Amino acid sequence: MSDSLARTAFVRGTVACLPLTLACAPWGLLAGSTAIDAQLTPAQSQGLSLFVFAGAAQLVAIGMIKGGASAISILITTLLLTSQHLLYAMHLRPLVSPLEPRWRLGLGFLLTDEFFALVSPFDQRTFNRWYALGVGLCMYVGWNIFTLLGVLLGKSIPGLDQLGLEFSIAATFIALITPVVRNIPTVVCVAVSLLAVVLFSHWQWESAIVLAGLAGMVAGYLCKRLGGYWA
Amino acid sequence: MIWAIIGGMTLILFFNRYLFLEPRLPIRLNRGVKEFLGFAVPGMLTAICGPIIFVKDHQLDLSPANPYLLAGLCAIGLMLWSRNVLLSVALSVGLFYLFRWWL
Repeated sequence: MSDSLARTAFVRGTVACLPLTLACAPWGLLAGSTAIDAQLTPAQSQGLSLFVFAGAAQLVAIGMIKGGASAISILITTLLLTSQHLLYAMHLRPLVSPLEPRWRLGLGFLLTDEFFALVSPFDQRTFNRWYALGVGLCMYVGWNIFTLLGVLLGKSIPGLDQLGLEFSIAATFIALITPVVRNIPTVVCVAVSLLAVVLFSHWQWESAIVLAGLAGMVAGYLCKRLGGYWA
Repeated sequence: MIWAIIGGMTLILFFNRYLFLEPRLPIRLNRGVKEFLGFAVPGMLTAICGPIIFVKDHQLDLSPANPYLLAGLCAIGLMLWSRNVLLSVALSVGLFYLFRWWL
């Protein structure tokens, strides 16, 4: 591919991810400021975003560090809390695994909920690695800038978690899900997933999201298979 | 100790993200698996939205006056009507703050 086409695709990916990146600003600020609040050094606080780069896991780990949890319990929680990435990678496998190692490793490192939401609609024919890189880097750079701001501001942002800014994440995902819901199996999948996640998070399961997502996927799949037999 | 936790988390996250992107991992995706994974977008994204909308301070909020719920429903309506992601997100976020102020 020529340089200019690659650049165009990269810019398109970056622009597509900008709204989602901005929507993550409150968490980035929180990830930085709560880490300082939990007595991490500025380097450690930023290191979480630079190396781990996973919003929910970072915030939970910081909460657990502050609560005096053991390292092993924090790591097990991280494993469960972020296991949806296994599903994302399996879904993106046909697109990413044929690429050369540096692209695979790079895009693998940049794989997030938002990356998956924006990149998974493509198939082998329409997938563009530069677009994916734009999406991933936009999120990575944005996330680290917001973390840095959070570290610098420290505890001086009162009640940031009470502003309701997380609704913008829900709104974005709803807008991405709605056009996909076109048949009965998908309706069943969404309904089961929603019901299960409300139930599981009510029971405070650490892996509520991934288990509920799996439940919805299984329900949708079974419904499609059964429908196939009846048809 | 903190650096050890950060290092461990980094390895876990990278393992979760990269495992199935590795071509030498001998898994074949047959038609059944592909169909199953086709439900990953609606299934997983819905599961991420659920707690944002229905859980407030570790408590379930199923009341119809929950601004997250009302604005979420508006987002669905706006998306069906406009087919435009950015417009739907912007308007429903505006409505969310309106509902929150109002209710």
